[in-house]
Amino acid sequence: MTITDLTSMGEPQADARAEINDRLKRLQDHASDYCYQCAKCTSGCEAHKLLELEPHKIVALLKRGLITELVNSDVIWTCMTCMKCRERCPQQVAPVEILFAAKNLAVQSGKELPGKYTAMLQSILGTGLLQEVQAVATAANTTITRDQLSLPALSVPSDAAKFQASIMAIAMQKP
Amino acid sequence: MSLPMPSQRYALFPGCLMPTEQYAYELSLRASLPLLGIDLVDLPGLSCCGEPMKSVNQTLTLYLSARNLALAEQAHLPFYVPCPQCHLALHETNLILQKNPAMLERINEMLKAEGLHYTGTTTLVHTIDLLHDTIGLDTIKQHVKQPLTGMKLVVHYGCHAIRPKELGRPDDSENPQKIESILKTLGAEPITHYPQKLDCCGAPLLPNKPETALTKTGQKLQAIQDLGASGVVDVCPWCHKMLDSRQTKAGETVAAKLDLPIVYLTQLLGVALGVDKEKLGFSLNLSPVHKLGLRSPP
Amino acid sequence: MRKIGVFICHCGINIAQNVDVDALTDYARTLPNVAVADHYKYMCSDNGARLIKDSIKKHSLDIVVIAACSPRMHETFFRDKLTEGGANPYRLEIVNIREQCSWVHQDRATATEKAKALVRSGVGKAQHDEPLTPSTIPVIPEALVIGAGIAGIQASLDLANDGFKVHLVDHDPSIGGHMAQLDKTFPTLDCAACILTPKMAEVANHKNIELLTYSHVQSVDGSIGNYTVKIQQKPRYVDTTKCTGCGDCAAACRLKNHVPSEFDQGMGNRSAVYMPFPQAVPLKYTIDPTKCLYLSRGKCGDEPLCKKACAQDAIQFDQKEEILERKVGAIIVATGYDLLDPTALYELGYDQHKDVITTLELERLISSSGPTKGEILRPSNQQKPKSATFILCVGSRDETQCTWCCRIGCMTALKQIYLLCEKLPDIEINLCYQDVRSYGKGYEEFYRKVRGQQTNLFRGRPSEVRQKTDHLTMDIYDTTTNKLYEIQSDLVVLVPAMVPRQDTTNTARLLRLTLSGDGFFLEAHPKLRPMDTFVAGVFIAGCCQGPKDIQDTVAQASGAASRAATILSKKELEIDPMIAMVDEDACTGCGICVDICPYDARTINEKNRIAEVNAALCTGCGGCVAACPSNASIHKNFTKKQLLNQIDDIM
Repeated sequence: MTITDLTSMGEPQADARAEINDRLKRLQDHASDYCYQCAKCTSGCEAHKLLELEPHKIVALLKRGLITELVNSDVIWTCMTCMKCRERCPQQVAPVEILFAAKNLAVQSGKELPGKYTAMLQSILGTGLLQEVQAVATAANTTITRDQLSLPALSVPSDAAKFQASIMAIAMQKP
Repeated sequence: MSLPMPSQRYALFPGCLMPTEQYAYELSLRASLPLLGIDLVDLPGLSCCGEPMKSVNQTLTLYLSARNLALAEQAHLPFYVPCPQCHLALHETNLILQKNPAMLERINEMLKAEGLHYTGTTTLVHTIDLLHDTIGLDTIKQHVKQPLTGMKLVVHYGCHAIRPKELGRPDDSENPQKIESILKTLGAEPITHYPQKLDCCGAPLLPNKPETALTKTGQKLQAIQDLGASGVVDVCPWCHKMLDSRQTKAGETVAAKLDLPIVYLTQLLGVALGVDKEKLGFSLNLSPVHKLGLRSPP
Repeated sequence: MRKIGVFICHCGINIAQNVDVDALTDYARTLPNVAVADHYKYMCSDNGARLIKDSIKKHSLDIVVIAACSPRMHETFFRDKLTEGGANPYRLEIVNIREQCSWVHQDRATATEKAKALVRSGVGKAQHDEPLTPSTIPVIPEALVIGAGIAGIQASLDLANDGFKVHLVDHDPSIGGHMAQLDKTFPTLDCAACILTPKMAEVANHKNIELLTYSHVQSVDGSIGNYTVKIQQKPRYVDTTKCTGCGDCAAACRLKNHVPSEFDQGMGNRSAVYMPFPQAVPLKYTIDPTKCLYLSRGKCGDEPLCKKACAQDAIQFDQKEEILERKVGAIIVATGYDLLDPTALYELGYDQHKDVITTLELERLISSSGPTKGEILRPSNQQKPKSATFILCVGSRDETQCTWCCRIGCMTALKQIYLLCEKLPDIEINLCYQDVRSYGKGYEEFYRKVRGQQTNLFRGRPSEVRQKTDHLTMDIYDTTTNKLYEIQSDLVVLVPAMVPRQDTTNTARLLRLTLSGDGFFLEAHPKLRPMDTFVAGVFIAGCCQGPKDIQDTVAQASGAASRAATILSKKELEIDPMIAMVDEDACTGCGICVDICPYDARTINEKNRIAEVNAALCTGCGGCVAACPSNASIHKNFTKKQLLNQIDDIM
């Protein structure tokens, strides 16, 4: 490779790029190569104005092979998964899916999960659901929880141990 | 005049947020749908669909969705999925595993540990297409007892119920009108177009950027309030959580006085079908739903 | 005793790289009846041609086998060389050792063995090639031109000036096509009407042109040199021999100003009886039967006001359609284009907001003979816009809509920007582009001029257009400054994709034309034969073949006229003799060949109950040969014996 990004001194990582592209093609049948940087995705991005996410730039970084920069950036966690970029792209590129792939790679490379993601994951491991039954506020300023309403029992994995083991096994594997 | 209806059985897929927090959705759908011939079956053994985990590990999402689909397969039932995020997760999992034999094999290998097997035969509906396409507007109209006359409501579709169109979603991505059609059938006068109709509520950012999430909610609600709508109808527990349960906080975040009634479509459906308000979870709406003037049957 | 010559081409390294041409030539010499075998670098070159001709003369060759590229490339050329050398041109076998051998195999040994097998089978077939003589058909020196936009007009004038009679058909009441709707043309800013109407007038007055407007081609039978065309002339309900084009009928019409005008793209209205535009050719009125109260409901008040107003008594409600029959030798299709309905990109608001319009709609506003007499007024409130935003590539270069570039979009937008600035000096103009394709002569200069005019250029595509109180708003990310901008605009102009006309599939069916993947008519070769089609005698010109601007359209139209003239200028045409023939002894007159033939080339002779081949229509497809249960249908120089020998030789 004879290309160097002079801001980061990074070089294109062809293998990592190929891996992401292969995954996108296999799972979603989308290809990043065809992006012509029209920026329609960024023009309509729900997260752009508040969090400065630029989906077209994410695609450009992928095309250039600057995967480390992509994976290490904080901005990839700002995607709202509104799917407008995937919906409206004239070249059928899906920046939202590239972002999912980048986030997965970040986790795989040992980056710490931001915000409540770890707690959510722990909860799934423990109970099968994202969170425990909540006591919620009512309009009358009281609180109420599921058991106090005439609703059936919560459905959870029947064999918690086997469920947990399966989840743990996946966490060990590559996405 | 009630015509006898063939009963349609669905396994309910509750997801996570509805059964642990957004009780009004569950109460209202259980109270109203049977009146339209829908027989809901509660399956044991279900788990999270995995969609919020897609950022962490997509294989985990595929596994979680696949195991739930496998459970429905075991019960030989289609899934009614009230949450659009769950619906997207399950639907996309079906599509991915259909096209990806290697991944299908991998998932089934892992499912063995829980004694499950996935073949991909489970069909899915969400509230929108269950009401509009499966049950149909004619049937709904026949059962309306208390029309929602004069209600100038606005619909918040959210994102996952309508995008991405290429996968097939319950309604159109750029001009969704199914909920408006249902509301008209229930007697209301929905505002069918407004500039911010397709804007996101912000919920997916709750885990790591809660203030931004609230800002999105506040911005959309402010715009709807400025329109002069009498209330907002939604079909997603996440959207409802933001628009209803967090409306006050959202207002604080964008420095606006927000005072909009937010109701689940199934709550309004129940009222129109003559169900007692108590049974529809209205006591759990934190937004000023009393402004809608909804009545229980005498 | 037949004497066969085998010539092997290297095709540079195209063949020679993968096939051992020396070994192949040596091998050829061992084959039956081969008197001489030779090889050369480029058989299709002057030297190669001379080699073949000289060899024919020197060795008195009867039959020639050439192992080279696909016969589609040079078959005609090589046949000519046989003729020049003194051999019958139909005793030629071309063996494809390029596309079907050297280009598809990597291993030299395998490729060479395969080439040997192919040459062996070619020589085997060649043994039984008979000398054939082409038959001839007379050529009717008249042409049919379908479509009277600038392409059809240009082609008609060229052919008419060559001395051929031209039947020019258009389905609109007037000729002129889309060009007549334009105000100015890029890059010279010529007035479109000023350069078009003289040609339109010339067409109307030309002694060699029969103008058939408000007409459709209903059926086309026959073949090159001899087509029979049925043309349906729709009733105008106006007697054109009496109508003076005065307009009193339209002024009196009860529906005056109530029917959206097609010519004005719905930006203005017309009456039920109408003239599309003031310079229409022919300058005659037409009654729209779908809107006219009398024609659609049987009653127009107490009496139809148009009839009352017409001093010439030209209104004729009982006028019927006419079916005309014409015989021509060549056909040119110049049916033009449509613009994509931008509702397909719903998010840009075309269907929802009155002030979101297309370039063609804006063109009608700009035009001084348009619905606003050239005043630029917002459709929503009839006020002058203080700002206008152009969005390029609406549906173009889009995998979900039209994958192709419309070619004229960038220049059209630049032209309209220039004209808007001229009419409204204080207007703020924004251009949202992805690329600006200003490729033609004088185009870059024009782009530079517009850049120098303080147009706000944004490189990017907006995602949505929304309404805000009394104007439109959109967010656009500009990749040049890396910032998101909110643009507020009184008017939004969309540049839609160019698409084939809706009736293209019907026209294709009528003429047996192929369409390319994008739905436009397919040319015989994109580089070397852009006006020809795969149907002999039918040519295409203008945007119906693919998006292009007016100058390329005119060039292509003249080219198509020249191609047609090549046919029409001959008294008779030679018919390829390698077609079907009937073994009269074997034929039982069962008629299966008649049913099978897709070209209607077979008939059964009433008197002797034997099948006959119409040489002009037969294309040599071989269907009848396969279908005939009595082996009576024979394909000349492709006989069953030859083909079976070929198969044996390959094995």
